[in-house]
Amino acid sequence: MSFKNLYISLISLLLLTSTVVFNTRNSDSTYTLLTIKSESIAGESISLKFAFTGDSEVLLYGSNSYGSILLEPEVNDKELIFILPEVMSNKSGVFNWKLQTTSHPISGHITIQPKSEIKAIESYLGPPSIEAGGTDYTMLVVIPTDDLDNPLADSTSVTIKHQFLTNAYASDVSTEHGFAFKNINSETKKGRILISSECLDLNSKEFDVNVLPAIPTDFKIASERIHNYADGNQITTFKTSLIKDRYDNTVSDGTFVTFFITNKAGYKSKTSGTTINGIARAKLLHPDFEDQWNIKAYVEGMANSNTIVLNYKQAISDFEVAFSEDNRTVTLGPIQSFMSQRVPDGLTVKLSIFKDGMLIHQLIKDTFNGMAEFYLDNDRYPKGVYDVELKTAGIVKSYKSINL
Amino acid sequence: MSKINKNILRGALLVSYVLIIALVIYAFGAIYSYLNTGADRSKMLHTEVKQIDQYLPEITWQPLTNEGRPMDAQTLTAIENDYLDGWFVRHVAYKTNTTIGIGDYYTESARQNLFNIIALNSENKTTVIGTTLEHHPTLEFFSEDGQLAVLTDNDVVEYKRLFKDNQLITEITEKSSYKITLLLEDGFWRVRHMVKIKSEPYTAQVTQPVSTTTINGINYYPQATPWAMFGDHFDADIIASDFELIQSTGLNSIRLFVPYEDFGKSDIDQNKLDQLITILDLAESANLKVMVTLFDFYGDYSVLNWTLTQRHAKTIIQALKDHKALAVWDIKNEPNLDFESRGTSLVTAWLAHMIDFVKAQDPNHAVTIGWSNAESATLLKDKLDLVSFHYYEDLEALDATFETLKSNITDKPIVITEYGMSSYHGFWNPFGNSEEGQAEYHKTIQSIFSEHDIQFMSWTLYDFGKIPKEVVGRLPWRQNAQKHFGFIDENGIRKPSFLFIANKKPSAQQH
Repeated sequence: MSFKNLYISLISLLLLTSTVVFNTRNSDSTYTLLTIKSESIAGESISLKFAFTGDSEVLLYGSNSYGSILLEPEVNDKELIFILPEVMSNKSGVFNWKLQTTSHPISGHITIQPKSEIKAIESYLGPPSIEAGGTDYTMLVVIPTDDLDNPLADSTSVTIKHQFLTNAYASDVSTEHGFAFKNINSETKKGRILISSECLDLNSKEFDVNVLPAIPTDFKIASERIHNYADGNQITTFKTSLIKDRYDNTVSDGTFVTFFITNKAGYKSKTSGTTINGIARAKLLHPDFEDQWNIKAYVEGMANSNTIVLNYKQAISDFEVAFSEDNRTVTLGPIQSFMSQRVPDGLTVKLSIFKDGMLIHQLIKDTFNGMAEFYLDNDRYPKGVYDVELKTAGIVKSYKSINL
Repeated sequence: MSKINKNILRGALLVSYVLIIALVIYAFGAIYSYLNTGADRSKMLHTEVKQIDQYLPEITWQPLTNEGRPMDAQTLTAIENDYLDGWFVRHVAYKTNTTIGIGDYYTESARQNLFNIIALNSENKTTVIGTTLEHHPTLEFFSEDGQLAVLTDNDVVEYKRLFKDNQLITEITEKSSYKITLLLEDGFWRVRHMVKIKSEPYTAQVTQPVSTTTINGINYYPQATPWAMFGDHFDADIIASDFELIQSTGLNSIRLFVPYEDFGKSDIDQNKLDQLITILDLAESANLKVMVTLFDFYGDYSVLNWTLTQRHAKTIIQALKDHKALAVWDIKNEPNLDFESRGTSLVTAWLAHMIDFVKAQDPNHAVTIGWSNAESATLLKDKLDLVSFHYYEDLEALDATFETLKSNITDKPIVITEYGMSSYHGFWNPFGNSEEGQAEYHKTIQSIFSEHDIQFMSWTLYDFGKIPKEVVGRLPWRQNAQKHFGFIDENGIRKPSFLFIANKKPSAQQH
């Protein structure tokens, strides 16, 4: 118990003395702010002066937009002077401070305005290409800054200029939240808009935005071929008319056009090409049998063409077939085309071989010099009775009960 | 003689042969396993991306009414993440006076401003340890090409500790507003301009004190799982029957502990939270009120960690604040024990902030701190609704201690939220108290409580079989003492002290 009292008295003594020390250090020290300036311009040197009595070892806490510091004073007779370092006085925004006295903290703030002279215009332009027609637009965002990289004060006027075809435009916008922006709409013609801005007599460099044609409108197609025979050899070329958007701009090069071909049997083929100067071309080999094609072209999801019809006449009217003595060599030809000329090499000939009415094999060959030859191998087709069917250029010839 | 030598020689040869073979096999094995490292297929694709919460200040976006391009949720989240990361790297940079990470979140010209201040601070040996606790950004503008965003971040609550030559100079809490221009560069939203437009000292709104009903209660852990009641060992049936027992003794409340790390820190384990809610449900049906002690076993306090503790508290409070059984939030158990290791001012600052935060989240429940002694109990008294402390000292001094405290705290209720006596006497403490001594202690303290009208919560219902080392360390004399604070012993037999668990005399008979 006595120990406890001893402790209590010791602790209270300690507390008492510390309070006394505390008091002597601070009750004598008084600080009064002498500077009354609460506004400043970035780049100007700022100092805070305090009249003081007593302790001169005080620190000043200061904080601006980017961070906080502690400052030591310069002691001058009865004044404490805190000179703000440039990192603080150069940046716009609120600088708040607090004098670190233990008794009566003094605090305040200085609003640092950006300079009124401009050093740079930062421009951000996008998107870099827009569509003709007046609804699509690009946006220019301008951040004018002073030479200490502070954004200029709000309500600074910025002139945004742009030129398109024969016209030049200029409009004034004011900065807000440190920037100014303007939407620049396209017109009905394709081309290139040149954009620049001006702020406080400082001009930006030139920016450009491409105005691309709008989406294509419906178009027409035509075909070109050197003859109308189904010879399986010549090529038919399909061609679009000049594809334009609804503002009469020729569509961009590279617009992808797909031609869909439907034949008499309903089978579909497709071929495609991209536009150059508004016209797309695509090619397809002639059929090798008589046929009729319906052709329609699409720029998928955007536009399509009319339908055209092409007829292909039969080029080969008949062909001769010769079996060898043992029937194992089948020779076709010479196959003759529309002028009785031998067909060009590469016409497909198909031989189907049946046993007891069941298809057992198909052989495919191309003609060479108007001829095609099949050899029915002994190992593959053992001795027996077979049916043989030959087909080329849409003509079918059947030979029943061939003894091999 | 030579025969023996020969045998020795043979033996040695044999042993060295075996040894060499073993070494060769080991070497092959080592080479083989080295060549196989990194061959884990699951790692090849880097499918697992672990994101660790580092910085989670409260951020509330104002409704989107921005000029320019309409904002989408995904971009807004990207902006939010990078913007907050920008603050985080800035705090780290000022804390360490290094420039790591700044380049990712500030454009080339903007980062110069930070570098200048870092250079100045490291020259002056100043360090700033700070964090931001709240952000209220408004999106002002989003450019058509999606590369530039301007926002006004209103009322950013910043907390800073400024050091010079490693001496704490001051603590600052301020509320500032910023105009921020962000540019999308290299996939990062980087700060291009940052202008502070307003700054004022910040003090949390003073709220009306919340009153509580008289607390006559007990600290609760189930007998089998002290300090580990959540998770796999959670047993609602045991807890329910314990609550019934507590209620039958005439006690009206219990004190629970929510371990910070075990609950998942900032990312709360929903399963454990559900268990906590279940406990409150059980307490409600047993007609008991609950004092929830947050941040058990939390000991970091570092300023950059504050936002994570905030998120932890927010999740728990939002889940429990409307629960009928909830009575009091105890911010932390015995934080004054961390004063020495973590610094009084840091711990106090965290507590002060956390009181404000908890009150802002739940203004309807009382807030207290369970100080480990009466001397600390006056700290932060103006912020608390209820002053609570723990008393394990001599009973003779209790009157005086309580009266002194009462004269210092006139307008708030004072509760002793832990007291008790171990009935351990054995090998490690042959002169310890007997169970009768413990009963005498409880009898005496109850009479003091009645006399001075003191609200109380005792430690604790049960004797425990095993005490985790985090609680009192590994020393057996501490462990054993801690095991025997209960009113009911290890075998479930009520000790004599059970008669004095509350003011009212409970039945001494077993149920």
